[in-house]
Amino acid sequence: MTFVSIRDLRVAFDGVQVLHGVDLDIRQGEAVGLVGESGCGKSVTWLAALGLLPGKAKVSGSVRLDGQELVGAPRPAIEKVRGKRIAMIFQDPSSSLNPVQRVGKQIMESLRLHRGLKGRDARAEAIRLLDMVGIPSAATRVDLYPHEFSGGQCQRIMIAMALAGEPDLLIADEPTTALDATIQAQILDLLGTIRRETGMAMVFISHDLGAVSVVCDRAVVMYAGRIVEANNIRSLFSAPRHPYTAGLFAAIPDIDADRGRLVPIHGTVPDPKNLPTGCAFSPRCPRATAFCQTDRPHLRPQSGGGDVACFQPVAAPKAFPALRQEALA
Amino acid sequence: MTAPLLQARGLVQEYATARSFFGKTSTVRAVDGIDLTVRQGEILGIVGESGSGKSTLGRMLLGLETPAGGEVLYQGAPMPAPRTDAWRKLRAQMQLIFQDPLAALDRRMTIAAQIAEPLEIHGIAKGAEAAERLAALMARVGLRRDQADRYPHELSGGQRQRVVIARALATNPGFLVCDEPVSALDVSIQAQVVNLLRDLQEQEGLTMVFISHDLKVVRNICDRVAVMYLGRVVEEAPSDLLFADPRHPYTRALVSSIPKPGQGLHGRIILQGEPPNPAARPAGCAFHPRCAFADRGCAARVPELQHDGRRQIACLKPDAAAATAA
Ligand SMILES: Nc1ncnc2c1ncn2[C@@H]1O[C@H](COP(=O)(O)OP(=O)(O)OP(=O)(O)O)[C@@H](O)[C@H]1O
Ligand SMILES: Nc1ncnc2c1ncn2[C@@H]1O[C@H](COP(=O)(O)OP(=O)(O)OP(=O)(O)O)[C@@H](O)[C@H]1O
Ligand SMILES: [Mg+2]
Ligand SMILES: [Mg+2]
Repeated sequence: MTFVSIRDLRVAFDGVQVLHGVDLDIRQGEAVGLVGESGCGKSVTWLAALGLLPGKAKVSGSVRLDGQELVGAPRPAIEKVRGKRIAMIFQDPSSSLNPVQRVGKQIMESLRLHRGLKGRDARAEAIRLLDMVGIPSAATRVDLYPHEFSGGQCQRIMIAMALAGEPDLLIADEPTTALDATIQAQILDLLGTIRRETGMAMVFISHDLGAVSVVCDRAVVMYAGRIVEANNIRSLFSAPRHPYTAGLFAAIPDIDADRGRLVPIHGTVPDPKNLPTGCAFSPRCPRATAFCQTDRPHLRPQSGGGDVACFQPVAAPKAFPALRQEALA
Repeated sequence: MTAPLLQARGLVQEYATARSFFGKTSTVRAVDGIDLTVRQGEILGIVGESGSGKSTLGRMLLGLETPAGGEVLYQGAPMPAPRTDAWRKLRAQMQLIFQDPLAALDRRMTIAAQIAEPLEIHGIAKGAEAAERLAALMARVGLRRDQADRYPHELSGGQRQRVVIARALATNPGFLVCDEPVSALDVSIQAQVVNLLRDLQEQEGLTMVFISHDLKVVRNICDRVAVMYLGRVVEEAPSDLLFADPRHPYTRALVSSIPKPGQGLHGRIILQGEPPNPAARPAGCAFHPRCAFADRGCAARVPELQHDGRRQIACLKPDAAAATAA
């Protein structure tokens, strides 16, 4: 069943549109990866959904949670959802941990707010949560301040805080980037276990495509404020169809290959104020034709599965002959 | 062999943490005796457990923090004390790219002003020349001209990180400590920044200490890599060797945990036990409570970092670990 349903979500700052109509469904209990270039609107999508953007942001479209509309909903209604039904782990540790409050106290506040736990129970639960995310000697460090923890420890404290409300959906915005590989693996395991035990759904926003493929069932690729490709993990990684997705995969350093120069995607991301006409990726795309520069492709289901917004997709594997429907449409 | 640009000898850092409950203070030994040499023009990677003291080490290498023990030599001379004139002069040549970009930037200043600020502070360029340098710096890190007048909170996470990088490069530093410089960047921009840093190394002889959890990037950019565990270096080797043939049991677990895109965490070595607490360091080898090869000796003796061919390793049972590596 669909838990969150986003339709035609648009966001503009100071008259400049950065999100151009995003459609996305998150089903109950599923884990969806959200990837794409820096600045393409991954964080803004969810900040908008949770009413966390500054007042100057213009948001339109619809975000429904179990049928309840969140866009334009009154503050108290959204505050009820936030932290409890949908929790978010924010990208910047310094923006979500209060530097002058002990970390235990911050977690206990969340426990009081969302689960009605108080006093000793809240403290014991806070310690359990810190322990769960791998903070060494949690019981003795629960009363420390954020600056007394390392970057990765702060990140784990934020994960503990987000899990405190036992949310139905966790939006994890770059939750493991500050963690070493062994602890990252442990956190990915932990998120998997919690999901199995509680049926929590998750949106995993990350630049680490390896981590995405470990925890997610499917992934959505964004470019310049739009979704350009969506598919299950296996298909997406074995046969990316959108040239942008293919470019992303090619840019990842290969741990087994020569230490040669890396292969970035040619060119830079467009200015949201002056998006190219046609496909926003066309000026950087090795496969673009004249048509791609004048017409904009829509996200369309593909015969072999998955959705792609491209007139010249990379060939699908032979087993699924590509029907060039887009080009004809 | 090229001369060392920077040498650390027996570096130690301790923090006192106040505890509310009993009013006692305890001491955290964040860095516990590190010897390190960074040669002119090389990129030295520092990887390791979260909380193992990498950032602390980085700050001490730049003289931003006074070590509790040991010393740092820059070009053979001791680092001047923080905030003295001599230190300030040196600081233009040495820059830090910090882990959390939002904390590193001033929220009330436009990004152009912040990138250009060091040019003025260190008297490098003014007026039209400064504007030109600013434009070049922004282009170098992949920021667009139209973003110049934005404030940090109006940028995405990865855009902010590029502002921090541009600012650090403004003074044409000879030595750079990068603390997680690329983890907030998408893989394409990351590839651009990594290529940029490699160009600076090749063309301008920039020397770097590159702290990162992204082992794929570390392997690509670093000439040599040191692995830290609980405040100490446990293994150090040329990049290729370290990742192809890790020997220390911690390094092996670390390297095996790199998620491969599309393949997941196949064949990972799972570490048992809880991550270590620097305030309660285990006796002997700090890794022994989590090590599959540890015996009684490991609980009693602290292994020293020892040369073994092109690598250095601090392990009492490297052969046992190596036997299962093959
Ligand atoms: N408060 C704001 N005011 C103006 N522009 C903003 C604001 N917040 C975000 N933006 C712009 O909106 C766009 C989308 O930003 P968003 O933070 O969603 O990117 P992202 O995909 O999360 O990138 P990253 O991977 O770097 O975190 C960017 O171009 C950014 O500059
Ligand atoms: N100002 C401080 N006061 C008390 N303890 C501190 C302070 N700064 C760091 N520590 C502690 O010192 C240890 C090393 O911290 P450091 O930030 O150097 O780790 P790190 O290796 O950079 O970790 P990460 O990969 O998570 O960034 C940690 O256990 C941390 O909790
Ligand atoms: Mg973001
Ligand atoms: Mg750090």
